[in-house]
Amino acid sequence: MAQATTSERFFSWLKTMTFYELLVGMKATMSHLIHYKPITLQYPHEKRTLPDNYRGMLALLRYDDETEKCVGCDLCEAACPSRVIRVVSAEVPGEPTKRYSKEYYMDMTRCLFCGMCVEACPVDALAMTREFEWAVFDKRDLQLNKQQLLAIGDRSFPVREKRLELQHQNVAFFNVAFTHMPQKPK
Amino acid sequence: MTELSLRLAVSLAQIAAVMGIVMLTVMILTLAERKVLGWMQDRMGPMEVGPYGILQPIADGLKLFFKEDIVPAGANKFMFSLAPILAMVPALIGFAVIPFGPNETIELFGMTIKPFVISDINIGVLYILAFASIGAYGIILGGWASNSKYSLLGGLRSAAQIISYELNVGLAIVGVLIMAGSLSLVKITDAQAGGFWHWHVFAFPAPQIFAFVVFVISAVAETNRVPFDLPEAESELVAGFFTEYSGMRFAFFFIAEYANMVLVSCVAAALFLGGWNAPYPGTILAHIGLEPFAWIEGVAWFTVKVYGFLFLFFWLRATLPRLRYDQLMKFGWKVMLPIALANIVVTAIAMYIYNQFK
Repeated sequence: MAQATTSERFFSWLKTMTFYELLVGMKATMSHLIHYKPITLQYPHEKRTLPDNYRGMLALLRYDDETEKCVGCDLCEAACPSRVIRVVSAEVPGEPTKRYSKEYYMDMTRCLFCGMCVEACPVDALAMTREFEWAVFDKRDLQLNKQQLLAIGDRSFPVREKRLELQHQNVAFFNVAFTHMPQKPK
Repeated sequence: MTELSLRLAVSLAQIAAVMGIVMLTVMILTLAERKVLGWMQDRMGPMEVGPYGILQPIADGLKLFFKEDIVPAGANKFMFSLAPILAMVPALIGFAVIPFGPNETIELFGMTIKPFVISDINIGVLYILAFASIGAYGIILGGWASNSKYSLLGGLRSAAQIISYELNVGLAIVGVLIMAGSLSLVKITDAQAGGFWHWHVFAFPAPQIFAFVVFVISAVAETNRVPFDLPEAESELVAGFFTEYSGMRFAFFFIAEYANMVLVSCVAAALFLGGWNAPYPGTILAHIGLEPFAWIEGVAWFTVKVYGFLFLFFWLRATLPRLRYDQLMKFGWKVMLPIALANIVVTAIAMYIYNQFK
């Protein structure tokens, strides 16, 4: 630092003695009080519009005939970086070529909402909804099973997408339609 | 006998009224501080309880009453319980000598009583200073008795702060005492009657403007407020000396801090800014012929001044960061103490010369 001249040192001393810097700061806070524009959002009463690509709670989807999209391929489980997902797949009874997820668990306490499971899914059975209000009193409430995940999908995507044959023709070539499809839980 | 009990009853009524007003002010302050801080920081402050959050102090009070009261294992139970009381009582006891309104006397039941001051004693300023220093014992004891290192450090910081500032408060006041020639707050206030140029900040022949600045800074330190809130440093000391306190015991410390703020504001208004005197000679209500209601104007001016000071406290809190305690002691001893001492010398000489030619 260059050597300060005597007058510079005098003025710096004067600024210290007269609280000049403090008064500048106090002027700033006072101007905020006078030109008061709160940036607060009164959250439960007013909510901001979410961006289009918002990644909220995960959900399992169905086709419009209410069959589950999930074919139990385990790719989401493999793609998940924090081991949130656990899939137990099983054959559809009476149809040896056809599989579905018998059990499907998600531990949302660990989920970091990266969306990699959604990208990994070959049949678009997983989706990220725009639900974000998931505060609970008990952490165990965030360990979701298949029924709960399907319910989230049902309420977040009420207009279901088309059947697999129309949407994923290559997959549908091997994935013949269910005859003994798993029932939608009541 | 009858007169004694009557006098006692009147005094108790006055005490009840003052305590009620002080407690109400503390309630208002807890809300006002959060609101003003919010506004200054582009937030809203409490908004949920009642319209614009105005019932927040009541909700806070209810919450504190119903919280579990924990005494840490290994704490000195007696001192732990005593500390909040030691912090609270001195803060409230100082209000006994504050003149809230004009120095009138009224005749009631054959007695002359002063309605706007509980007790006009000759050593009012000394009394307040003495009790203000006892308040620090509550903080230090609270920190020590909690059996926690963070609390102890908070308490010790309070001790470091007290030795830097207690002296400056006393010395800043001396100039005013020389000018007014009395330690009674009523007499000091009466000496400043007749317009703002008679207030001790601006008064001829020795304006106490430097003493006023020193007093205000020391008062901020005295009440443990930002930027001198060393005993409560949330960032370094978890919460400071009251880390282990919960429920109503914590609330006592909290109320004590706010009551201290009100007390210090009252003292500053009475000593330097003319107390209940209006900034113009006399009162408007007396000039337009409403002589019996002139006291309303006096009380209103006093309230305005006190709330102005309280707003200054909030304003400082919204602006300034916390000082390090060595900076604080250096500032107290090397800057403010010489200023206060020089002020006493200059004031004394000026008053001596002034009295020679009066």
